[in-house]
Amino acid sequence: MTDPGPETSTSAPTPPADQTGVPPRTAPRLPLRRPRGGRILGGVCLGVAAHLDVPVKTVRILMLLLSLVGGAGIFAYVFLWTTVPVGDPARAAADLRDPALARLAPRTDQAPGLDASSPMSRLLSRLPVRDILVGSLLLAGASALVASRFGVTIEWSWVLPVVIALGGTGLAWSQLDASQRGDLLSRAGGRTPNGVLRLVGGLVLALVGVLALVSQDMPSSAMLPAVVAALAVLAGAALVLAPWWLRLLRELGEERAARERANERADIAAHLHDSVLQTLALIQRSADRPGEVTRLARNQERELREWLYDDRPAEGTSLAADLRGLVADVENRMSERLGGDEAVSVDVVVVGDCPPNDATRALLQAAREATVNAVVHGRPPVSVYLEVSEAAAEVFIRDRGEGFDVEAIPHDRFGVRESILGRVQRRGGQASVRSGPGGGTEVRLNVPLVEHSAEASHPAAVQGAPQAATPGSRPDATPVSRQAGGPASRPAAGPASPPAGAPPLPPATYPAVDPSASLSAPSTSQETST
Amino acid sequence: MSADHPTRAVLVDDHDMFRAGVRASLDAHVEVVGEAADVDAAVAVIRATMPTVVLLDVHLPGGGGGGGAEVITRCADLLAGTRFLALSVSDAAEDVVAVIRAGARGYVTKAISGPELSDAIDRVSGGDAVFSPRLAGFVLDSFGTQAADVAVADDELDRLSAREQEVMRLIARGYSYREVASELFISIKTVETHVSAVLRKLQLSSRHELTRWAAARRLL
Repeated sequence: MTDPGPETSTSAPTPPADQTGVPPRTAPRLPLRRPRGGRILGGVCLGVAAHLDVPVKTVRILMLLLSLVGGAGIFAYVFLWTTVPVGDPARAAADLRDPALARLAPRTDQAPGLDASSPMSRLLSRLPVRDILVGSLLLAGASALVASRFGVTIEWSWVLPVVIALGGTGLAWSQLDASQRGDLLSRAGGRTPNGVLRLVGGLVLALVGVLALVSQDMPSSAMLPAVVAALAVLAGAALVLAPWWLRLLRELGEERAARERANERADIAAHLHDSVLQTLALIQRSADRPGEVTRLARNQERELREWLYDDRPAEGTSLAADLRGLVADVENRMSERLGGDEAVSVDVVVVGDCPPNDATRALLQAAREATVNAVVHGRPPVSVYLEVSEAAAEVFIRDRGEGFDVEAIPHDRFGVRESILGRVQRRGGQASVRSGPGGGTEVRLNVPLVEHSAEASHPAAVQGAPQAATPGSRPDATPVSRQAGGPASRPAAGPASPPAGAPPLPPATYPAVDPSASLSAPSTSQETST
Repeated sequence: MSADHPTRAVLVDDHDMFRAGVRASLDAHVEVVGEAADVDAAVAVIRATMPTVVLLDVHLPGGGGGGGAEVITRCADLLAGTRFLALSVSDAAEDVVAVIRAGARGYVTKAISGPELSDAIDRVSGGDAVFSPRLAGFVLDSFGTQAADVAVADDELDRLSAREQEVMRLIARGYSYREVASELFISIKTVETHVSAVLRKLQLSSRHELTRWAAARRLL
């Protein structure tokens, strides 16, 4: 009764214009749903208007007129309210389409036309409808009492059973309202204890009410057989209808499963179409540019892997993901800059993970610079390795180029010194470059992750302090001023406090640092400042 | 290892193009004695030719659906003479653990270059283990990066020694065995010993994360 089934559309459904104007007539009928937005009471008129494709005002006026005709309108309204599920008609129509046709095309979140509510309906929706209903019910009861006091005879033997039966029915149906309705109707779900209680209570009330209504003049001796007979009839009917009901449920479940499968397949097809096939086409077109082909293939691989394994953490929670994104970005930009004739590929290995903070952001920026340097000046394979332990985050960027003499970099060149080494050292980390002919270049970056080790790991700050005060040095380039302007969590006295109490970071990650070629943190900062 | 004794290899992959590419890129001293495209054919070819090294794709059709790991399991009695080198498009842990646990001696990605692959085949045929950087990263991830100071006897398999950890770390950083050796001032042979020890631990360890990881994917 609620499933309009065949009245589905295969073309894009157009939401009926609410009060805004005449909708395009191309779309076939929308399924019957009660939209959430723009409703006055239960959204019935809105849904009917959308279904019949007529202005909602007409439906409302018609409904009001019908209500005057023996309350037919009210009955129709209540019936539709309880039976028509809540939902966006346009979206319901989209859901009912063949998923293979729908693809993964972004489904519009809301049908705009249905949300635009007139000032009138907005005003009405602000009225406390339920309170008014209860109040008018109480008023009716009170006026009935007053009327009986004034001599008007009210047939209580009629009114009471009717009220009881109606109350029971209302109780049983009430659980269909609100959000559970869709579930209940489609899955026979909602079997919470509360729901069962309501159902049983409503059933008993309705039975008692009907019984009282029918058996007013009946002697009590005849009541019992009548009740038994009625129950027997009900049981018989239930017995007959049970198989049909069960089959209905099963078919519903099967249809649901089939739809889910089809949806899944459509999603896969859509994804392959939108990404993989597109990329393959692009690759064929740029077959003469190996760098571009590599870039496309690597991007596609990354994306496909992400989609298949679905292990992408939420934005801003994973340093590892940030690093991978950064390297992907570098690959793309560099192959673009190099004209797409050369393959740019950087291998990333990550061990451990942690949420990013200020220190790791500096680490990543430095790593980015170093990776760009490795791609531009070094030679592939370029590899980036990130290791996050409890105490520190370390990044190693390595290439197999000719290498360069670190000492030979002019002091006014900021590339390596400032944007790579300085960045990390400002955060209390350690940075060094190791380079030698034939062995390629390796940049090692290390930032502490815990605050106390941030202080402990930086004896250089104290050593560098006297030199920082020498005239002629750039004030913003001295280690001390950087330290003081660094992370706010560091105490102001940090650089001046003696470092003796805290041990420096374990040197285990630098198994054999060549003293002649390495550029350790203290020496760098001193050189920079003098 | 040497030119006068060509290494006999079997190539198992379900993509013809990839097999052809690998065959073309291999060194002269690696002789491809058989090829197979699915699990059952692979088992048959390996039993018929008894190669020294099997280049095994991780994802294979046929058989019981177990892919490369199933091939190794069904050839478990040959593991003394035949070494398996797993080859896959991905370095994902999902692919790695199954084949390594089944008994593969190494794991490389298909992006590997021809000379590197020949080198890896030599290594595996000599009984050593071959780790890609990302496999080393996975090992560090699952065994933890905190060095074991005191290796208690019964959880020896569940930890890496400090030296093994250093070796793994360098491999993860993209160092070749030779570079690792010179970096740590040890011989290449020692590096290979360390890597083989790590491989053994990876295969036998009952380490918590690894076991839970494997159990969750019904690999055990």
